[in-house]
Amino acid sequence: MGMTNDMAVLDVAGISKRFGDLQVLSDISFTVTRGETVCVLGPSGSGKSTLLRCINWLERPDAGQIYLNGDRIGINNGGVVMSDRELSRVRTRIGMVFQHFALWPHLTVLQNLMEAPVQVQKRPVAEVREEAMALLAKVGLSDKCDVFPARLSGGQKQRVGIARALAMKPDVLLFDEPTSALDPELVGEVLLVMRELAREGRTMVIVTHEMGFARDAATRILFMDRGRVVETGRPERFFVSPDTERARQFIQRYAAG
Amino acid sequence: MSTADILAILQGAVVTVTLSFVGILIGLPIGLGLALLRWADVPVIARIVAVYVSVLRATPLVTLLLLLFFALPNVGIAIGPVSAAILALVMNTSAFNCEVWRAALMNFPKEQYEAAQSVGMHASLRFRRIVLPQIVRVSLPGLVNEMSLLIKVTPVLAVVGVVDITRAAVRIGAETYEPLPPFLVAIAMYAPIVFALVSLQRFIERRQLAAEAA
Amino acid sequence: MIRDFAIVWSERDLLLSGLGNTTILSVLSAIAGLVIAFVLTPALMSKRRWLALAVRVFVDGMRCVPFLLFAYIVYYGLPSFGIRLDNWSSGLVALTVYHAAYLAEILRGAWAAQPREPLEAGVAFGFSGPRLFRRIILPPLLLAAGPIIGNQMIQIVKDSAFLTIIALPELTHAASSIQSRHYVPFAAFITAVFLYWGLCLIIEAGVSGIDRLAAARR
Ligand SMILES: Nc1ncnc2c1ncn2[C@@H]1O[C@H](COP(=O)(O)OP(=O)(O)O)[C@@H](O)[C@H]1O
Ligand SMILES: [Mg+2]
Repeated sequence: MGMTNDMAVLDVAGISKRFGDLQVLSDISFTVTRGETVCVLGPSGSGKSTLLRCINWLERPDAGQIYLNGDRIGINNGGVVMSDRELSRVRTRIGMVFQHFALWPHLTVLQNLMEAPVQVQKRPVAEVREEAMALLAKVGLSDKCDVFPARLSGGQKQRVGIARALAMKPDVLLFDEPTSALDPELVGEVLLVMRELAREGRTMVIVTHEMGFARDAATRILFMDRGRVVETGRPERFFVSPDTERARQFIQRYAAG
Repeated sequence: MSTADILAILQGAVVTVTLSFVGILIGLPIGLGLALLRWADVPVIARIVAVYVSVLRATPLVTLLLLLFFALPNVGIAIGPVSAAILALVMNTSAFNCEVWRAALMNFPKEQYEAAQSVGMHASLRFRRIVLPQIVRVSLPGLVNEMSLLIKVTPVLAVVGVVDITRAAVRIGAETYEPLPPFLVAIAMYAPIVFALVSLQRFIERRQLAAEAA
Repeated sequence: MIRDFAIVWSERDLLLSGLGNTTILSVLSAIAGLVIAFVLTPALMSKRRWLALAVRVFVDGMRCVPFLLFAYIVYYGLPSFGIRLDNWSSGLVALTVYHAAYLAEILRGAWAAQPREPLEAGVAFGFSGPRLFRRIILPPLLLAAGPIIGNQMIQIVKDSAFLTIIALPELTHAASSIQSRHYVPFAAFITAVFLYWGLCLIIEAGVSGIDRLAAARR
């Protein structure tokens, strides 16, 4: 188990990342404890997506460590970078929800949910199907199970995206602006599902621009600017009396719409 | 023209079309392999493949065929007309298939691939379960088009004396002093096959468009 | 091996005249084919049913016929109608007519994929008739179809090699002559292959030039 905190599901310690000359992440550290909903806020280009992608090593961080329930991600016990297969094994424990859904178009909704549990986790098909149907019921899409993603609305696609991530039974869920690609009237149905997950006590890290959602669903806010965590705190405090000038300006801009 | 003549032409058509299907069957996976080498950007090899594809796409099948048929025995590799024909067809079509596959791979959405990574699929699983089914779909019209192109060039296999439609036609024309009918019969045999492939390609394209519009 | 290439070098005049014939043949039939295609394409989309159907039958027919067989028909068939052409002219006619059909279909596809608004804007700004076509319709059409037309030109170059069979002295025919005269098959044909490659690289360079123009206008 982690040395710092028994309850830490995710422990990010000193992550840095640069693309060429651009320092995108500088020494980012934070922990996420079991059942927390951490909302990552910040202006566009501040490195939020890169941070999420570093957590499951879709992007390889230049420095720092990431622990999932005490296990180092990306570097194996021998101290060398994990092979594709080792990385794949740890990634099954981290669910990811994409801005543009990234549903697999050649598979039906149900198949999208079942693909990884069956092919990667090698769980019995009957059991996986039952669970997948339950998850679809949970996101309100039972009737769409045999439909191909092309037939769904954006909001429905993202609910499938969330169910697909849940089907892996991950320890933590990462969301990268899950509602940014949606028409305004479809945002609500997705946020509703996410609120429900927060209430159930799923451990989640959510990059979002939905301030209302962050205010009442987050247990903690992580505010980023230019690749750094500038401020972190409980939402009721962050939104009312932020410590930093930058956060205050950011909130004001969004409050003004 | 006698029935025997028509049968001779028919036999020629069957042989050349069979050869081109053999060529496609072998050339298809080779093309995919070449495309993967380029896509993965394997050092040196990717460059060699790029040059191979570029040269072969520019080489007329006749010229390639003559090269293989006359030059290989010269360096001690015995090759008959049929093998030379198949080899030429495979080399030709693998280069074209490589381009079709590669275009599909290049346009493959990165997010699709990352979604597969994020649920813990390792490289070969990602390719088999997520990438391949999608690029097959995208490539299908191009591959069918390539098949019809290949069948259209097969009459040229006559130049190395594969038992063949055009040879039969030329011979019959020379014997009967009526050169036109044998060629018309030959066309009547090729055209439906190519037409079927062209229609198949259109059908696939239309169905995929309809699926996207849905 | 070096000696073989030396022999090919000694026959360079033959090879170069073959290359010249291939080039002239390809360029002429590409130009003539495009001109014919520009006539065929509007006919393909004509509201006069019979006209559209007739041209459609011709275009699809050509697309289903192997070029070699078509070239034979032109070469052996035209004399039956009292038209006597030497192998050079009949080769050129075959190449032109055959590829005009393909080019017409290419132009039709590019035309169908063009957005309507610029055309309507052109009409709204008072363009009409040939001027509308030349100033508003044609430039984006050629830019959009450029790469596919380039591909078709490569196809023309390659199909011209078939004409060796009716003894037209093009590049492959020249290589064949050298090979049968001196028995240097590898050197003769590989040289031809690389010359074809060179031609295609030139065409591709042209296409990427057009592509750059198009990219700046997207
Ligand atoms: N693969 C990449 N190569 C180069 N630069 C990148 C790459 N990914 C992101 N960036 C740059 O890193 C910065 C942070 O990007 P990102 O993490 O997407 O920010 P955010 O999600 O907060 O909007 C941006 O300036 C972006 O242009
Ligand atoms: Mg982002």
